[in-house]
Amino acid sequence: MHTNYARISNISATLSSCMMALLAAIALSSFLFTADPKGDLHVASVQVVPGNARRYANKHQEFAFVNFNVTADLSPLFNWNTKQVFLYLGAEYTNKQGVVNEVVIWDKIVRNKEDARLDVSGRNKYVFRELSTSFNPPANYTLKYNVMPYVGVLTYGEAARTLEPVAFPQQHQL
Amino acid sequence: MNNYVNQLIEGKIDFEGQKKVEEIVRNTLIGTTVVSFALGFVLQSLRVTFGTFGLSAVVLLLVAVPQWPMYNRNPVEWLPIKEAKESEKK
Repeated sequence: MHTNYARISNISATLSSCMMALLAAIALSSFLFTADPKGDLHVASVQVVPGNARRYANKHQEFAFVNFNVTADLSPLFNWNTKQVFLYLGAEYTNKQGVVNEVVIWDKIVRNKEDARLDVSGRNKYVFRELSTSFNPPANYTLKYNVMPYVGVLTYGEAARTLEPVAFPQQHQL
Repeated sequence: MNNYVNQLIEGKIDFEGQKKVEEIVRNTLIGTTVVSFALGFVLQSLRVTFGTFGLSAVVLLLVAVPQWPMYNRNPVEWLPIKEAKESEKK
């Protein structure tokens, strides 16, 4: 502390330790905010279209187009430490071979509390393709969210689920 | 002139001043951490937290780093120069 340099060095070291303690406190404060918002998810229509695999033109795969409506109020998730909330709509089903699939067909990033009151009707953003030839058993659609803090741990949750499984329309033989 | 600038850059302060600076720095930083967390938590804004923290850090640097006269109030009392003994001058 006897020269300017020594004082600056000492102050910056203590300052960075205090800053780390502050960040740890902010990360821990996220655990005080527990919210479990719920919403409604309704699948308006599903259309299945035949097509081919990307690489093998002879291999038959089916494509599904899903139109849905989502209403949810996710504003309880926003506290001082929430940077953004990542929402995704997934389709869960078990195909004929017995493989359990969860396909994300739509997502959205919500950055502030005002945008968190959702009322979206859309169709799938991403290609919904069944790799093993055809869709058969019905699928459950779920709306899940991932809360991303400024400092701290990521948390996940489920906001909505279709009440009964939604069936895929059967292809008529050509 | 050169000597004055050198002294300013070095910024030496006496021991009582050093003790005072140490005290000021430690108390201010701990206090700032607690106050900025509390303010931000109550107002639910991270901007408030880091704003107050940054502002206090700048003010602390201005108060504690330069060689202010209050840190030089107790200069060291050096003993008078002793005459060198004849036997040591070989």
